[in-house]
Amino acid sequence: MKISKDEIALPNNLACPGCGASLAMRLALKALGRNTVLVIPACCWTIINGPVGKNYAGVPVFHTAFETTAAVASGIKASFKMQGKDSINVVGWAGDGGTFDIGLQALSGAAERNDDIIYVCYDNEAYMNTGIQRSSATPYFAQTTTTPEGKDRPKKDLMAILAAHYVPYIASVSLAYPQDFTKKFEKAKSIRGFKFIHIFVPCPPGQKFLEDKTIEVAKLAVETGVFPLYEIIDGKYVLSKKPKFTDITEYLKLQGRYKNLTQENIEFLRQSIQKKWEYLNKRFNE
Amino acid sequence: MKKVLGGNDAVSQAVSVCDVEVISAYPITPQTSIIEKIADLIYAKQINAQFIKVESEHSAMAACIGASIAGSRTFTATSSQGLLLMHEVLHWASGARLPIVLANANRAIAPGWNIWAEATDSLSQRDTGWVQLYAANSQEVYDFIIMAFAVAERALFPVMVCLDGFLLTHTKEPVEILEHETVKQLLPKIKRDTLDPANPKAYGALAFPKDYYIIKKGQHLDMLKVLDIFDNVSLEFEKITNRHYNPVEVYPKPDSQYSIVALGTLSQTARLAVDNLRKDDIDVNLVKINMLRPFPQQLLKQLLSDKKLIVVFDRDISHGKSGIVKDEIAGGLDLCNVVGFVGGLGGDKITESTIANAFLDAKNAQIKGLFL
Repeated sequence: MKISKDEIALPNNLACPGCGASLAMRLALKALGRNTVLVIPACCWTIINGPVGKNYAGVPVFHTAFETTAAVASGIKASFKMQGKDSINVVGWAGDGGTFDIGLQALSGAAERNDDIIYVCYDNEAYMNTGIQRSSATPYFAQTTTTPEGKDRPKKDLMAILAAHYVPYIASVSLAYPQDFTKKFEKAKSIRGFKFIHIFVPCPPGQKFLEDKTIEVAKLAVETGVFPLYEIIDGKYVLSKKPKFTDITEYLKLQGRYKNLTQENIEFLRQSIQKKWEYLNKRFNE
Repeated sequence: MKKVLGGNDAVSQAVSVCDVEVISAYPITPQTSIIEKIADLIYAKQINAQFIKVESEHSAMAACIGASIAGSRTFTATSSQGLLLMHEVLHWASGARLPIVLANANRAIAPGWNIWAEATDSLSQRDTGWVQLYAANSQEVYDFIIMAFAVAERALFPVMVCLDGFLLTHTKEPVEILEHETVKQLLPKIKRDTLDPANPKAYGALAFPKDYYIIKKGQHLDMLKVLDIFDNVSLEFEKITNRHYNPVEVYPKPDSQYSIVALGTLSQTARLAVDNLRKDDIDVNLVKINMLRPFPQQLLKQLLSDKKLIVVFDRDISHGKSGIVKDEIAGGLDLCNVVGFVGGLGGDKITESTIANAFLDAKNAQIKGLFL
């Protein structure tokens, strides 16, 4: 898998140092190419893309209301179809708040209609743009400003929710595996109908780790089994990368959001990972 | 050619001759038969458009926003709770300067549940930056929808055409309809700034206070120009139809001691009241508002500033203040001799004699309103 040398996203955007969401855009656009338009709701990329007159994404961007990403993208695609510009990739680019929470209804609508768009959720596991509040993508025990005691509920399984819409393509990707990342975006581009890509993006200020550890955090999320890399192609689950199942403490200890975990909490997380993989393995083997 | 059409059919028939490319909508009483008819017309290949059947009104407007920024002529229809759900994205459509056309079947707002006529739904959206037109009969509905596309695309503002639920949406009357080719003259394809990979711009980006202020000031000044744009469209429309519309109409003539003001179907009832009052030698006329936004201030001033008394009838209410149209007239024209009555809420009966009696109460007994 060759990664394009074309740098579509421009340098010096407004992201924080070590921002995973910024890297995600750079890699995604290398695969998508310049014949792409983006729909961006309220999220970190609202800021990252720059104020009036700037457009660091390097492809056309329509900034939209928080919960409207999928519906706006559907409208753009319908218009392009009418104009014979069907080859343009219409991509929704939203954070976890805009996807798992406030935008879920519109996302479900577009998925159920099988509208020909690519919906990307760059998931930093909390409302980072408003200053680190819990979302339904925040994992168990993670500390945020609205869960100072640590979150008391698991992360929502959005991949399963999307799978229940019977769409042609769903995939999870990681910044630490750029070849796999690129391959999946290219595949999404080649498929007609609704595509969903879930990116786990490390966030140094939000998840509380040093800004040179972004890729390490991304890699450990996969290696520990916390963030499984797989595809759901026409309902068929396909494993992309079998983890080493490195002990979860290696992942947790890098991040300040987990600093108050007890041994009991850690054991609970180990078991959750095991359960998650039992559930997934059944599907990979179907 | 004349056809017998209800208000909703008039909307669908008008949309069918306007080369609309993308429609997105969600059903709600009493609007639903608009989009059912449009679905039929698309199925019968009489409309060549994509119809995005969304899961909510919020997404209906969002999809129209997407289609419009991508360059297509777009349409949606809604009512009451649906329009209120759209509120946030109504602002987005006007702020992004997108020429979307929306038909709103005016219906009361819950609780309690009520599907009948009331204009509080659209009047409470008057600050969303949309052009608002209020029709009083099916012919106006048909004509306003066509004119709305022309105004929207020349002004780069979205336009809302309002028609009272059931009283207008479901009441049939003869309507003069137009040929597709005729309407085309009024609606040439106008090139505007739309999403284009060859020109990678960001739309709606972060605006710091200074930029934001400039943008919003420009939006207001451009909105005021819609009055002239409407007049131009109206002149062109008259050339092809012999029907002419002003933002405000007066009946039977401008010269009078007293005025009654109303919009929508209430103005039709008020017109009968004016006829009856004039038979009794009371020198009163009707000022019928076709366009509420932009506010036709100069025109209304010319028509109303010399009156002894102005009585406004509202089928809507701003709780804790008054009827909304009354507030618009009194505040918008800085007049003290305005009395307002609120009636007919949630489809409650209101007749020409109710209006005439209320007018006489105000005139003779200095009754100051508020409820009929």
